[in-house]
Amino acid sequence: MSIMRINIGPIHPSTHGLLRLIVDVDGDTIENIDTRIGFLHRGVEKLLENRIYMQSPPFMEKIDYVAPMSWDELFVASVEQATGTEVKEGAQYIRMILLEFQRIASHLLWMGTFLNDLGQMFTIFMWTFRERAAVLKLLEDVAEGRMFYVNFRVGGMKSQPPSDFADRAYKLVDYLESQVSEYKDLIDNNPVFMQRTKHIGVLKRKDAIEYGVSGPVLRGSGVYEDIRKSKPYYKFDKIKFSVPTMVNGDVYDRYKVRYEEIFESIKIIRQCLQAYESLENKDVLGLKIKLVGPNAKPDPVLVSRELPRGEGMIYMVPEPQKPYRAAFRSPSFSNLFALKKIAVGSKFADLFAILGSLDIVMPDIDK
Amino acid sequence: MAEAKESEFFNAEQKMDKLLYKSKAPEQPNVLFVKLADLMKYTNSLKTWSRKNSVWPMLFGLACCAIELMDFGAERIDAERKGYLLFRGTPRQCDVMIVAGWVTKSIAPRLRTLYEQMSSPKYVIAYGECATCGGPWFESYNIIHGIDQILPVDVYVAGCPPKPENLFQALINLQKKIGGETIGNSERSISPSLGRAQEKRI
Repeated sequence: MSIMRINIGPIHPSTHGLLRLIVDVDGDTIENIDTRIGFLHRGVEKLLENRIYMQSPPFMEKIDYVAPMSWDELFVASVEQATGTEVKEGAQYIRMILLEFQRIASHLLWMGTFLNDLGQMFTIFMWTFRERAAVLKLLEDVAEGRMFYVNFRVGGMKSQPPSDFADRAYKLVDYLESQVSEYKDLIDNNPVFMQRTKHIGVLKRKDAIEYGVSGPVLRGSGVYEDIRKSKPYYKFDKIKFSVPTMVNGDVYDRYKVRYEEIFESIKIIRQCLQAYESLENKDVLGLKIKLVGPNAKPDPVLVSRELPRGEGMIYMVPEPQKPYRAAFRSPSFSNLFALKKIAVGSKFADLFAILGSLDIVMPDIDK
Repeated sequence: MAEAKESEFFNAEQKMDKLLYKSKAPEQPNVLFVKLADLMKYTNSLKTWSRKNSVWPMLFGLACCAIELMDFGAERIDAERKGYLLFRGTPRQCDVMIVAGWVTKSIAPRLRTLYEQMSSPKYVIAYGECATCGGPWFESYNIIHGIDQILPVDVYVAGCPPKPENLFQALINLQKKIGGETIGNSERSISPSLGRAQEKRI
């Protein structure tokens, strides 16, 4: 049979942003995929070079708009390392709580859109957005912003959490646990879902390591790797939690890893809340933003964090008040790289199941 | 001097009017056409009513604001109850284009093409700061400073990102505009100087 070329995108509901795929199909089987990126490029790295350090977090949040707080925290952490500032103990716990809430919100959004991609239109989407709205409501009250927060400051946070924060967070966590465990009946035990995801888009362990994928995609292929465990930051070494991994590396496994991660995040939040409650000094305030902040040392800085989508990294060569050059390693970029390896040979109808399971966010790739 | 000139001009205009129109004998109105015109009155109001209450937006999520656009359709706002949540994948079935996100140089010609493919009457909402004026990326080398440099815009929504409620209000405003309830309902803004949009790459 002759090969047919199909163009997908750049504006397409299932590409999660502006991504263009040029797919060669032989009958129903994918022969080759050409991936075109860069439709959302706006030069964040260049923009950072003309601003003092704490002017940049609004840009950093828009790199990954599904989990904005995580990139913001990564940048502020690299500034802290450059200036040699210690983070207050209370602020460390609050940061961990907020970041894990952000991870839950991100995974919930992914779950809703992923099931839309599979053709299960809008039931799970409505459910996950209901839970996500509850998380965002808490973040809105704590961090004073609905989607973009800019609440991290060098050495701490912008403001003290409200007095009923711990109480509300406990209630929210209980609510999330009961609601998310209900999804299992509709998703996991659903034979149609199993047929669409099991043994489809298999990424083997060896290939996963070679392609440099990270996060849930890597753990779905059976690699035990999590920056929170291997290079623990903040108080992650004192917290008990497990890293869910799977064996097969198919679409179902990647879904399952993210599903289990929600419960691990809930565990982390509970322990952090307990620890924060028992602290004597609950002060979390960081330095205020001023025209001249603390001077940075000239040594280059490399900071890595476990973002919801994988390992994010910032390499920064600092000048005293602004970065001379900053380079980002975004997890979505290397995860998208593996698409060709996974999807070639599978059916065309499974392409969006595979692409959805990689959980890419396009501005994260285009920067 | 200026007044004299104006009055002269006015007189000349009146003269021309007389010559052109008023000298002719009034025509007998055609009965058939008068009745059709009456009918058109009713059909026009029916048309605006139905046009107003079935605004189909186009799926054009570009960046962060698209997440709020998703929330717009999710359970908290549930925009379907007002008649505008049939997001279509093809421009030929749509009435309104909600541009949510920053427009880069490479996506601008595609945006223009999609707008031209929409069937008339068509409306554009600039959702968020980036679509309105470039927003936080104003100094970037790859960003169009607001979509009004390439498209006529009906309603602007401010915010970074605007809450879904703001989009709700914007669509209500657009409905008023379509129904002719606001002054200047036929006005649309397009930038007089096209700036970056005229550069060679676009």
